[in-house]
Amino acid sequence: MRALPAIAALTAAALGLAGCGAGEGVDTGQGSGGSPGEGGGALVAAISAQPDQLDPHKTTAYASFQVLENVYDTLTVPSAEDQTMQPSLAESWETSDDGLTWTFTLREGVEFHDGSELDAADVVYSFNRIIDEELANSYRFTSVADITAKDDRTVVFQLKEPMPNLLSQVGEFKGMAILPEGAAEEHDLATEAVGTGPFTLQGSTASAVELKAFEDHWGGEPTVPAVEFRFVSEPTAALTALRSGQVHWTDNVPAQQIEALASDDSVELGQTPSVDYWYMAMNLEKPPFDKREVRRAIATAIDREAVTQAAKFDAARPNQTAIPEGSFWHTDYEPFEPDIAAAKKMLADAGVSTPLRMGLMVTSEYPETVTAAQVIASQLEPLGITVDIQTEEFATWLARQGEGDFDAFLLGWVGNVDPYGFYHSQHRTGASNNYQGYSNPVTDELLDGAAVERDQDARKKLYDEAAKTIVDDVSYLYLYNPDVVQAWKPGLQGYTIRADKAVNFENVELPE
Amino acid sequence: MSGYLLRRAGQSAVVLLGVAIAVFALMHLVPGDPVRLALGTRFDQAAYDALRERAGLDEPLPVQFLGWIGSAVTGDLGVSFRSGEPVTMLIVERLPATVSLAAASILVALLIAVPLGTLSALRPRSFVDSAGTVVSQVGISVPEFWMGILLILLFAGVLDWFPPGGYVPLSEDPVGWLRSLVLPALTTGLVSGSVLTRFTRSSVLEALGADHVRTARAKGLPARAVLRWHVLRNALLPLVTVTGVQLAYLLSGVVVVEIVFAWPGLGLLALQAVQDRDYPVLQGAVLLFAFVFLLLNLVVDLLYSRLDPRISA
Amino acid sequence: MSAAADAPARGRALTAEVPRWRVTLGLLARTPTAAAAALVLLTVVLVALFDDQLAPAGPNDVDVQARLQGPSAEHPFGTDDLGRDVLSRVLLGAQVSLRVGLVAVGISLVVGTLVGTLAGFYGRWVDSLLMRLMDVLFAFPALLLAIAVLAVLGPGATNAMIAIGITYTPVFARVSRAAVLGVREQVYVRASRSVGASDARLLLRHVLPNAAPPILVQTSVSLAFAVLAEAALSFAGLGIQPPAPSWGGMLASGRGFLEQAWWMAVFPGLAIFLLVLSFNLLGDGLRDVLDPQQRSAMEAGRRRIRSRGKAEAAADARGAA
Repeated sequence: MRALPAIAALTAAALGLAGCGAGEGVDTGQGSGGSPGEGGGALVAAISAQPDQLDPHKTTAYASFQVLENVYDTLTVPSAEDQTMQPSLAESWETSDDGLTWTFTLREGVEFHDGSELDAADVVYSFNRIIDEELANSYRFTSVADITAKDDRTVVFQLKEPMPNLLSQVGEFKGMAILPEGAAEEHDLATEAVGTGPFTLQGSTASAVELKAFEDHWGGEPTVPAVEFRFVSEPTAALTALRSGQVHWTDNVPAQQIEALASDDSVELGQTPSVDYWYMAMNLEKPPFDKREVRRAIATAIDREAVTQAAKFDAARPNQTAIPEGSFWHTDYEPFEPDIAAAKKMLADAGVSTPLRMGLMVTSEYPETVTAAQVIASQLEPLGITVDIQTEEFATWLARQGEGDFDAFLLGWVGNVDPYGFYHSQHRTGASNNYQGYSNPVTDELLDGAAVERDQDARKKLYDEAAKTIVDDVSYLYLYNPDVVQAWKPGLQGYTIRADKAVNFENVELPE
Repeated sequence: MSGYLLRRAGQSAVVLLGVAIAVFALMHLVPGDPVRLALGTRFDQAAYDALRERAGLDEPLPVQFLGWIGSAVTGDLGVSFRSGEPVTMLIVERLPATVSLAAASILVALLIAVPLGTLSALRPRSFVDSAGTVVSQVGISVPEFWMGILLILLFAGVLDWFPPGGYVPLSEDPVGWLRSLVLPALTTGLVSGSVLTRFTRSSVLEALGADHVRTARAKGLPARAVLRWHVLRNALLPLVTVTGVQLAYLLSGVVVVEIVFAWPGLGLLALQAVQDRDYPVLQGAVLLFAFVFLLLNLVVDLLYSRLDPRISA
Repeated sequence: MSAAADAPARGRALTAEVPRWRVTLGLLARTPTAAAAALVLLTVVLVALFDDQLAPAGPNDVDVQARLQGPSAEHPFGTDDLGRDVLSRVLLGAQVSLRVGLVAVGISLVVGTLVGTLAGFYGRWVDSLLMRLMDVLFAFPALLLAIAVLAVLGPGATNAMIAIGITYTPVFARVSRAAVLGVREQVYVRASRSVGASDARLLLRHVLPNAAPPILVQTSVSLAFAVLAEAALSFAGLGIQPPAPSWGGMLASGRGFLEQAWWMAVFPGLAIFLLVLSFNLLGDGLRDVLDPQQRSAMEAGRRRIRSRGKAEAAADARGAA
């Protein structure tokens, strides 16, 4: 089976046309007659969007990270199972007693795609690039005093205050990728890549990015010779291509299709709860939403089950806190029970007269917010609250959020690995993402304590308490955790669907 | 003649400058900040300021505009905020998809318009004529995106003959390219075809009424020969020119059809640029659209003025 | 309300001596397609006026349990992804489409005719300046211009009207300018001028009424484009805000459910199509009746100069779709 596509591709190249017809019967990426190297055997993955750019330190787009996950490495990496941080380019690490000095020992014999060997200077260069150029992720280093290379294999972090979450801050995702020293000066990293990952970047076009196996990868050569990421924004197109064998894998699976796909033999469906959450936030600086009782009444009127069903069908689970069951940081807390009568009474007790108007800002960038908003509007109507749904382009949405120009908004928070990332900046008084204007000294104290608590279980207890006050005060009205839903060709081996939505094809084997 | 040409070219240049000013002003009036968008939801002020400076957005607006228009004249349309790639490159990347669709749509349109329009004109007020009128009225009244959806439902869903969307580059797979092209080209081609049908009909009618055709008929030339040699040839030029205008429209991106078929053309690039507040990309794209539009209109005008010198008066 | 009801009112202004509107209406009634179109439009207007009574269910009665049900006696057009009755939403969408279309075209009509008339009447630099401005608007791809304007103003029905109105202003400016140029040098206009009639009086009494037929035809055709444009903008998520029912918005959400629920996309699309077709057919009928020399000239031939105008008209038509 493997020889055939290679011949097809060769002939095609000679004739100036690529694998006509031949591709139909053969379940490889025949569409990509131009795929590199061996030509055949490439894994073809259909992703829903085109990466904006491929500089890991500059992009913030998920599509980019789907590709970069396979090209770059980080010091540490979240485990596929429960997202605890594991060694990657760093083989081991130590913390000083005061928690202010972290010493990382690098793996030996790691080679970059350009043939150079990884050493401590590369790590220092990469992180200093983020810090000195004040790139998107520089906020992760605000508590870092300085990063130095002690010798070729040792990197030392000096901290201003303890960072129990340092491991996730430097390894949570490929935005913290390690580049060889001087890479940004020698290459155009928006379109070229020099990483240590299992695949090298061959090139990208308006319709696809092509990767080739990196023989000298420290973890061993990947099983497939090449990977092609195709951009297929239309779900129907992605699924048709998957069924017909033109692609092997896709994450472009609309929630309403899951039921039909589950019984479809030509497709294998993967579904696992993600660590993303979607929520509604009300503007605590605007009456009457400044009143805790009003927010609690709204939280009581909303039926999360119906919202979840409407927005995500069976591909999400309602949740009253941030993180789903199964994650280490999950807090088991469900104080609200949908009850319109009780909600009405709470509203009356708060001294608020109805009818009330509430602008609910959503964005066409994430259509599920538009759907969820319509259900929420219908649920709040019997409470005497008229919801004006305001669908904005995301740019305008962000601007209005930044200016505090909203009554309430809906959005998601994705890729949550460490609770520092999803509690502090959203709920600490005056924090950068606390757009709703929440301020509770009790919560602040709990969060501040947790930020520097180095005992994992004690830290978990503090976050549990903080989560409860956040839910009780309705700083965020958490709605649901969506599932990660992906589909692939039956018989595809060695792929793990992950809660953090990282897509790694290092060990994938194509079906015969 | 050359005076007229110069005047028209001058006018077009003025309009192009106007478009440049308008699109620049419009984009900077739009609320929303490309820098915030590029940084996502988590960032701090220093990172914000740094990126803003790198993108040149801290300069006063007139300086930004002059810088942009200055390099645009030399063919340099700047660099995308989003991807860091040159705008010209982003446009060139999208050209194959857009040109494929535009060419295929025009082909579909002509295949509909020439026979239907000619037949209608040869038998005015006949059944064929009324049928042609109804078909072309229906064609221009159908929302393109709905037409696309119906075609997808039928040919991709029920019959499963063609892919429901997506573009396959010609260089990768000619058969796949053709298959991916059928439904979107039918969608836009039907609408263009309706416009062209009406136009073909009136051009042929006009040619039929021309003096030399009457003469030829009076001389007793066979009807078929008259049709071929006199009528169609005379009807051709107006048809070619109006086809050119249709082409200009199709090349400037058929946004909604591109959405429906997930077609990575210039229309989607521009729409995405509006959404991303990617000023350089949108400005570059609109400038290109306006340029193509003005150029093709200029050509149309010139063809007519050649044909009929009275027009330059 | 509709263009059909509009025609007589407008016709009255045309000339004082003959009740031309009656002639127009009579001629129109004898054109079967135009008459049928007028009938459809009348129905749509009635639906829009009495939608509350006609709709079997509230447009926003969300019932997630009852979602994606196919057409049945209870829900003739099925239910959508939130369990709402599609028929009710289609009925209520009529008002939205009509209102946006009428107001948008009203804006283009007033602004465009004013600009075109001034340009045509005064000529010289006024003409150059105004028409170059219109050319700038015209050189933008229509939908992209509307999208950009909406990005500035923010989404919503009112802003959609303004955006569409701006987009179609140049067409009216061109049409009215051409019409004004046509009558400016006519004997009676020159005569009025020579006896010292003021510009305003000239424009209102002589020039505009005689330029009215092509503008009226353009109005009907533009209504068709405006309805399409509103649908396209709502389809792109920028027009009418949910949960208000809009045909374009319904189509957009139906697009995600083609495999499960074809009715979500088919019925609203059909509604748009019928309304647009009616405006176009009526426009065609009006053209035949009001501008007979155009058609007879067309069929008689010898119309090369005006063909250029037709090429532009074709471009206008297409840029709008």
